[in-house]
Amino acid sequence: MSLSTYAVQALQPLTVLVAAPGLSGWIAKVEARLQGRRGPRVLQPYYDLVKLFGKESLAPEGTSWFFLAAPVVAMCCYLTVPLLIPVLTTFGLPLGYTGDIIGGSFLLALASFSVAVAAAESGAPYAQLGASRSKTFGAITEPVMLFVVFSVALITATDLPYAQAAAVRSSGAQVIRPAHLLASAALFLVILYETARIPVETHTGTNEFGMIEEARVFEHSGPQLALLKWGSAMKQLILYTILIDVFLAPWGLASTTGALSVALAVGALLGKAALLGCVVAVIDNSFAKLRLFKISEFVAAAFLLAVLAVFTLYLGGG
Amino acid sequence: MNALLAAGNAPTTFEGATNTVAVLLLLTEFAMLRASLSRSQVHLYAVQSFLVSVLAVIVAAARDLPELYALAVVSLLLKAGAVPWLINRLLRDARVEIAGSGAIGVASATLLSLALAGFGFFAVGSLDIRSRFLPHAALGLSVSIVLVAFVLMIVRRDVVSQAVGFFSLENGVSLASLVVAAGMPLIIEVAFLFDLLVAVVVFGVLMRVHHHRTASLSTESLTSLQG
Repeated sequence: MSLSTYAVQALQPLTVLVAAPGLSGWIAKVEARLQGRRGPRVLQPYYDLVKLFGKESLAPEGTSWFFLAAPVVAMCCYLTVPLLIPVLTTFGLPLGYTGDIIGGSFLLALASFSVAVAAAESGAPYAQLGASRSKTFGAITEPVMLFVVFSVALITATDLPYAQAAAVRSSGAQVIRPAHLLASAALFLVILYETARIPVETHTGTNEFGMIEEARVFEHSGPQLALLKWGSAMKQLILYTILIDVFLAPWGLASTTGALSVALAVGALLGKAALLGCVVAVIDNSFAKLRLFKISEFVAAAFLLAVLAVFTLYLGGG
Repeated sequence: MNALLAAGNAPTTFEGATNTVAVLLLLTEFAMLRASLSRSQVHLYAVQSFLVSVLAVIVAAARDLPELYALAVVSLLLKAGAVPWLINRLLRDARVEIAGSGAIGVASATLLSLALAGFGFFAVGSLDIRSRFLPHAALGLSVSIVLVAFVLMIVRRDVVSQAVGFFSLENGVSLASLVVAAGMPLIIEVAFLFDLLVAVVVFGVLMRVHHHRTASLSTESLTSLQG
């Protein structure tokens, strides 16, 4: 049985939408087991979302309509990005070529910008602190993303994620070349920063002063908070998908629209994301949180890797 | 445009592997730049020397140059074993843990050396020196390592960083010699290694004397005049 390409296209954001909270729950579970705790259920984030959707939404006095609209804007961005990247298939689906990697990055940046604007609008000190910090460090992580895109462009002569994934699949020589390894490592460091994992901030708990991404949602409540939490889980799965299906292991994707191979691709994606989640949980448990002013060193390291990737490519030896 | 076209084709696995090891050499150099403990700087130097030996083994295997195996073993014993052990012993005697802070912050030092590394890359890349033994990029990388080692020696204000910077500079030169003249007679290569030993002795004496005079390993106290 073969699905229509539009059905597969719709399945991509749907997979991310449904699986994202589960991935967060899985990482929390693995982390708890590594610390010798039983930890919450893997499905806990879903129960949290249901609970939050049942509550009323409140906005601080003096905020405009954008405060309540921002979570929806962010959610729309996160639902659009999976249309552009290889989530389930090796070939571009009908809407797959409407945007390149830069387009995807812009959408992710737009989502984080709208959340930051809403946080700044709330007038609450912690939320504003989080918003201003995330934009400060973002000024260094976004050039890293640009350099990763440049290295993709130099490798494949396009800036399409599908082309990069196809290049990685084509031979082992493409995997071991330094440009590919450096760009993947840089992207991984950026993902640790973007998903608020340990060298940058503690993912759980109420460590207000050290918070960056997590502090921005302090003033939202009810369905809006649920959308923001869901959105950040989706952003995590999207970034993992980009790292896995474009750079590290673009194997196991469906090469036809057959129902069985698409189902297998969903399973493969979730399995690979769960594995990456285990790696992140181990990192979470083995390092200490960096001091705020050391974070610039962390992102400078990512920048170094990304720039070296482009350097080696320009010399013809990358 | 030529560079773009060349980059379009993936290098062979051998080139990819050697380039990756060479890039790792440069990365350890950057790691030394930001390491705040003298001990971890010495560890990083040992790792870097180990990587040079790995590179020598890869070249020996792929290009059929058996004398490079001997070089790899000797260099492993000396640079990854004896030299770090000696410096560690000197450090233990001096009871100094934390390396001196840099004249500029870590992030700016990283960016500065990144710019210098880029300069080294492109300056050498434009010379278009070809080698039968190692791919083109490795020579540019070795020059970058030398330049970053200079930054390490210039911005850090303690004797250990300067010693480690000097030794790792020698690692960069070894990489360059592997690129340019992998078939060079073994005796010359070994003579280089013994040159390094002389440098270790000199730096050891410097560390001892300096620590004896000023009770620290920081070079900042050297700027004040003594009557």
